[in-house]
Amino acid sequence: MTTLIVVAGLAIYVLLYMTYGKKLERDVIKASDENETPANRLFDGVDYVPAKPPVLFGHHFASIAGAAPIVGPVVAMAWGWVPGLLWVWFGNIFIGAVHDYLSLMASVRYDGRSVQFVASDVITKRTGKLFYWLVFFLLILVIAAFAAVVGKTFVGDPKVPTAFFLMVLSALILGVLMYRVKMNFTPATIIGIIMLGASIYGGALWPVELGYSTWMIILFFYIIIAAAIPVDVLLQPRDYLNSWLLYFGLALGAVAAIFSFHGFTAPAFTSFAPIVTGGKPSPFWPVIPLVIACGSLSGFHSLVGSGTTSKQLEKESHGLPIGYGSMLTEGFLSTLVVASVAGFGLQLMQDAGESITVANWGSQYVKSMSATYPNAVMFSHSYAQMVATTWLGFIPISVVQVIAGMWVAAFAMTTLDTTNRLARYTISEIAMPLKEKGSGSYDFLTNPWVASMIPAAIGIYLAWSGNFAILWPSFGSANQLVASITLLTGAAWVSKRLKGKSTAVAICTIPAYLLWITVTAAIIWFSSVALPGTIKANPVTGVTVLVIEIAMLILNFIFMYDFLKYRKQPLEQEK
Amino acid sequence: MKSVFFTGKGGVGKSSLSAAAAWQLAEQGNRVLTTSFDPAHNLGDIFDEQLSHRITRYKKTSLYLQEIDLEKSAQEYLKSSVGILEEVYSYTRAFNMDKYFRILRYSPGVEEYAALVAMEHLFRRESENFDYIVIDTPPTGLTLRILALPKVTLAWLDRLIQIRLQILDKRYTIHNITGKHDGKETKLPYTEDEDTVMRKLREMVTRYETVQSFLQSPDNNIALVCNPDVLSLKESQRLVTGTKELELPLRTLFVNKVTSENADAADRVEKELLDEIPEVALKRVPMFRQDTPECYIMDTDLTGPLGFTTEKKA
Amino acid sequence: MTNIHGKGGKGFFRVFLEKALSFFSIIGSSHREKAAELTRFEAKELENLFVLLLMGSFTGIPAPPSFIAAELLPHLEHEIKVLNARAHAASDSMAEIIGLLDID
Repeated sequence: MTTLIVVAGLAIYVLLYMTYGKKLERDVIKASDENETPANRLFDGVDYVPAKPPVLFGHHFASIAGAAPIVGPVVAMAWGWVPGLLWVWFGNIFIGAVHDYLSLMASVRYDGRSVQFVASDVITKRTGKLFYWLVFFLLILVIAAFAAVVGKTFVGDPKVPTAFFLMVLSALILGVLMYRVKMNFTPATIIGIIMLGASIYGGALWPVELGYSTWMIILFFYIIIAAAIPVDVLLQPRDYLNSWLLYFGLALGAVAAIFSFHGFTAPAFTSFAPIVTGGKPSPFWPVIPLVIACGSLSGFHSLVGSGTTSKQLEKESHGLPIGYGSMLTEGFLSTLVVASVAGFGLQLMQDAGESITVANWGSQYVKSMSATYPNAVMFSHSYAQMVATTWLGFIPISVVQVIAGMWVAAFAMTTLDTTNRLARYTISEIAMPLKEKGSGSYDFLTNPWVASMIPAAIGIYLAWSGNFAILWPSFGSANQLVASITLLTGAAWVSKRLKGKSTAVAICTIPAYLLWITVTAAIIWFSSVALPGTIKANPVTGVTVLVIEIAMLILNFIFMYDFLKYRKQPLEQEK
Repeated sequence: MKSVFFTGKGGVGKSSLSAAAAWQLAEQGNRVLTTSFDPAHNLGDIFDEQLSHRITRYKKTSLYLQEIDLEKSAQEYLKSSVGILEEVYSYTRAFNMDKYFRILRYSPGVEEYAALVAMEHLFRRESENFDYIVIDTPPTGLTLRILALPKVTLAWLDRLIQIRLQILDKRYTIHNITGKHDGKETKLPYTEDEDTVMRKLREMVTRYETVQSFLQSPDNNIALVCNPDVLSLKESQRLVTGTKELELPLRTLFVNKVTSENADAADRVEKELLDEIPEVALKRVPMFRQDTPECYIMDTDLTGPLGFTTEKKA
Repeated sequence: MTNIHGKGGKGFFRVFLEKALSFFSIIGSSHREKAAELTRFEAKELENLFVLLLMGSFTGIPAPPSFIAAELLPHLEHEIKVLNARAHAASDSMAEIIGLLDID
């Protein structure tokens, strides 16, 4: 069954890439190699430099891949394996990958400007400002959610923290080798990979058990420090090692899934509204986008794509494989996750003593999963089981567990510390109006330490409650809100600038409106049904999240108002 | 070769004294060049000659005269830097934008730089040819800025070199990693030898260090000329402070235009200044007529206080 | 197109080897880029700063004396390009930073 699903997923993606993807390219974007991309037209050897498609693909994919495509599907298993999988497949193909592709191409046609800029042009200037606030909230929630992921993973599988900190050490050493001693690249890489392997083995050998709160404190200081030191000390070499981990994990997982031939033990479908978040029955629609973000749809991707990728696109025809294709690849990754948990999750939980069965899966899954193998750990252990059933089973199972656990933890950690750096930047942008007022508040807010501490402190504080079932969807809500706004921006661009045929425009606007409605409904449901339960249990966390959700909802409505108002207005200047 | 800069407020008698000192040194058998950087250009009047930037011999003596036209120097320097900019931005000629580069004339530092360049050339070219170079300086503010220029420039150069080294280091790292796999077309220099900018920076450092060390050397003397009055005193104090900050050797103080009426004032001025620079060699110079021919000849010996030996050369 | 039957063209094995090598070299390239990405960004920022300092003397910012700039500028063509590129991007930098920093 694992094999079947994985192969089917691959086939569906490839098929629809060829048909639907190509249609997008041809009829909606009307991509043509005759149009010179900004990488060529504005070539400056600095930012605008055309890159070879496979290299750019690797870069873009590595930038968008991370921990979220793994954690999301694990939680979504509560609905049974079919609903989540359908969202991963068709949500991705018709909404998520479209979103990525549109934002990339819009950016390309706007000389490599960001999606935020495009929004200011096709909708209104206010939208641009709105982005900063949204991104700021998103960053705080990212820190909260991902710190919780890491914390739970560290507690749920004590081998992982050891491996992780050994990897940090390896990265520091690699940094010295590559950037100070300036050793030759290939030997340095080999040493790096060896150290990475050693960290993984080390993790398997020497697990470290600490409490969740202790990890939160450690994480807090780690984030602040890592965001302050020069990038080539830790960040750069660590990113580099991570990319090796990513490809290896993906390859191992794909091979294992295809050769595993294992049946699914989890139910295909439990109910429309099993217990997923806030201990409340969560309707599949509209909540699913909050749970599965990056595997199907993610607002971050539009910002990533319009940053560097659009400035390096050599030909317009490369946009489809890179923008649309890498999102599908991430979907494939999520497919692997579903396959492994569906195949091995039930057994794992039952062996751990949980009284979960196929029958009570809907109400029991989230509880059991959190109790035994929270989120990422559920994935890592299922994944390890899957590998063990194949000819790759010679690798010790504890090692495979560390590999998979590290995968999630390492990527979650990179997100954490770079998020902090980014938050500093957004704070300074948001605080800009204060500068003119002349008060010392601008200086205070933009002081590097203060600007670092604010998001870290809020985020970690939220994560402290450990209420993952609330934190994860709240991150999802912010992320998808950004996604719905960027998809609507893309749709506005298509209708205003490209002036395509009405069917072509509909391919973009219908998903865009649907998404907006879904996300708005999801946030409303989340704020009114799921959160109130939490407020009794963790008041500060609950209220903070509620305030953020309401603020985002207000911004959301302002955006929709502007969008509808300026929808029919022609653009002021022709590009 | 020894040098002396005659500094002080306008009108205190710098030009007269520098002319007189130069004459005395020449009489002792030395080859002496006296040059004026002062825009007021009194030197030519004193010697009753038409002077220019070309060094001319005074009658048949061992005294040589020169007047540096700072404005002309500045114009020439500007022409060459505008020329460089026009080369770099040659497309601006097509749009008649090049005339906007003329605004550079008002850039701060142009005059100072022109003076510094002239001074540097002078010392480099003429130190072999002369035993003494006597310099009549522009008014205090400009003089201080000129004298400060090597130090200021060296501070900036040091900072620029630091940044440049970091840039080269990072480029080297990138090259080491991406090497011949780098897709970028142009090759950027990443070692010090290959980097023209770095070489130029180092050259400039050498040049200014040379000037700086020369200005601070025992063969150089900053002589301060003041009059027995309050304004002159105030300005002289500024010069004292300035030369102290720049660590330049102010060795001689001439109190000029002393008469029986202002002798008390002269006492007070001397006392004030000696408080600040106790080791200075002090000399009172009585008022003398300046409107007669050969007014550069005076009785008061200036060479002794300047710290130069008075032995006659054969 | 390559002829896999070896008639008047390259043999199958040769073609396979070439393709495999180019595949690995692309992966290698991609990895190298990843390893150098942030350093490249830093280098650009420093180059920007360097030439900005020098240019400052022409625009009234406290800066090195303009003669230093006049002497160095002809050799700073690349840095001036960086300055211009950075100036364009300055108003729109959020996406670039997000792209560089590995946010999921």
